[in-house]
Amino acid sequence: MSTTEIIIDTPLESEVAAYEEKGGVFWYDDGNLNVRDVARALNSVGARFITITTYELPANGGFRFEYHWDLMGRLLGFTFAVAGNTIETIYDLCEAADWIEREVHEEYRIDFTGREYQPLLLREGGVCGVNLQKEVVQ
Amino acid sequence: MSYEIPMGPYHPGLEEPYKLSMICEGETVRDAKLEIGFNFRGIEHLAETRNYIQVIALMERVCGICSFIHTLTLCQAMEKLTGFTPPPRAQYIRVVMGELERLHSHVLWAGIAAKLMGFKTMFMTCFEIREKVMDVLQAISGNRVNYSMNRVGGVNRDIEDPQSILSMVDALEKEMTRTIIPIFTTSKTATSRCAGIGVLTTEKARSLGVVGPVARASGLGQDLRKEAPYAAYSEMDFTVPVVPDGDVRARLLVRALEIMESCKILRQALSKMPPGEVVCGDGKFNFLKLTASTATARVEAPRGEVMYSVSWKEGARNPSRVHVRTPTYVNMPSVRFMVQGARLADTPLIQASVDPCYSCTDR
Repeated sequence: MSTTEIIIDTPLESEVAAYEEKGGVFWYDDGNLNVRDVARALNSVGARFITITTYELPANGGFRFEYHWDLMGRLLGFTFAVAGNTIETIYDLCEAADWIEREVHEEYRIDFTGREYQPLLLREGGVCGVNLQKEVVQ
Repeated sequence: MSYEIPMGPYHPGLEEPYKLSMICEGETVRDAKLEIGFNFRGIEHLAETRNYIQVIALMERVCGICSFIHTLTLCQAMEKLTGFTPPPRAQYIRVVMGELERLHSHVLWAGIAAKLMGFKTMFMTCFEIREKVMDVLQAISGNRVNYSMNRVGGVNRDIEDPQSILSMVDALEKEMTRTIIPIFTTSKTATSRCAGIGVLTTEKARSLGVVGPVARASGLGQDLRKEAPYAAYSEMDFTVPVVPDGDVRARLLVRALEIMESCKILRQALSKMPPGEVVCGDGKFNFLKLTASTATARVEAPRGEVMYSVSWKEGARNPSRVHVRTPTYVNMPSVRFMVQGARLADTPLIQASVDPCYSCTDR
């Protein structure tokens, strides 16, 4: 059974081995999760998408994305590590991710595959990655 | 024939620097596009260059109205990193400050909404009351805007005489019950101007993930003070107003009712405030001894959920990442759907009904 199925099938109060509560978040991380499967599963149980926190890994090691969702007041966290700078979009599954993905795209030059972007925070001539990426490729 | 009307980033109908380009047919808005980032400050990047004391002062400047809430959320995240638990009295003081800030924000919003309705007398009344709320905040913290109240492990200043603050709150509540609340809940002038415009359905609100009074005015009963209580909220008795209509009037009603609930919470917090210290231990912690870790905290700000993720590297003086998710950032995309089908003349009021904060959005 995947972690995603466990979330749906398990009442919140019972103990779930697949998560770890740490730093105020219930982390679900079995290493095999797919960002779109998680979004579909959480949509189906009425969870609310909160945000994506992005971390640039040292020595060009790619990025770590933490997707946060709220389910009945419980803060759920899902971690996805990517070697490059692409990850699948969830915008088509979750409207709330639109501005968040656009912001991460502009801050870190991340390409959310399967969607188009319109400028959000950047003005004309602005370079993606200038704000938070450690080494900006012009 | 359709035409585009740009509103903003500098426009008398908008209090904030963003741009709403509306596609209109006659006087009716068919669609709209939002542009933000005109005042982008790069605070998340700046936070990586500040130490554990400086970062609190920096994050207080994310928003001029919810400055306490931002430091509260940051400090709660940093308390999770350090293992500090603020003493009960500090938790109560945090509730008092948080609710006063909610009153300040809602009354300020009521004034702006009244002005956009063409109700100038009400605007003046709201701003007069807002001054009195700020007097209470000043009496507690010594400051009117950036209060410098929060620290990791507690608060910087005690409320030495809660009874004197309580009498100020009682006077405030009496005045609001006499003026703002009846006008915003029963006055035909106010409610008819707002009824049926800028509708955000429950389904759309859920899909867009909106938070705070915008969500509660669309029938979503979410409030972190109830669902995931922090500080001393679990010890407070209050209700979360929810109105299902989704229009500007519903947002008006929710905020008016929340003002009353805030007064109720304030009375409880001030009268039940436990004795004791206001900071955990001696309040000192060596962040250089932290092992690499990340912590997240959420708080119900006047406009909705604020979330901070704070990440620390081992032996570092500064945080390696501070991510801020503000309520306006998720509420604002809903304006596009609220204005679809609306009359052009109603759009400033519809936008204001979200209570947008671009200081937060362009953080």
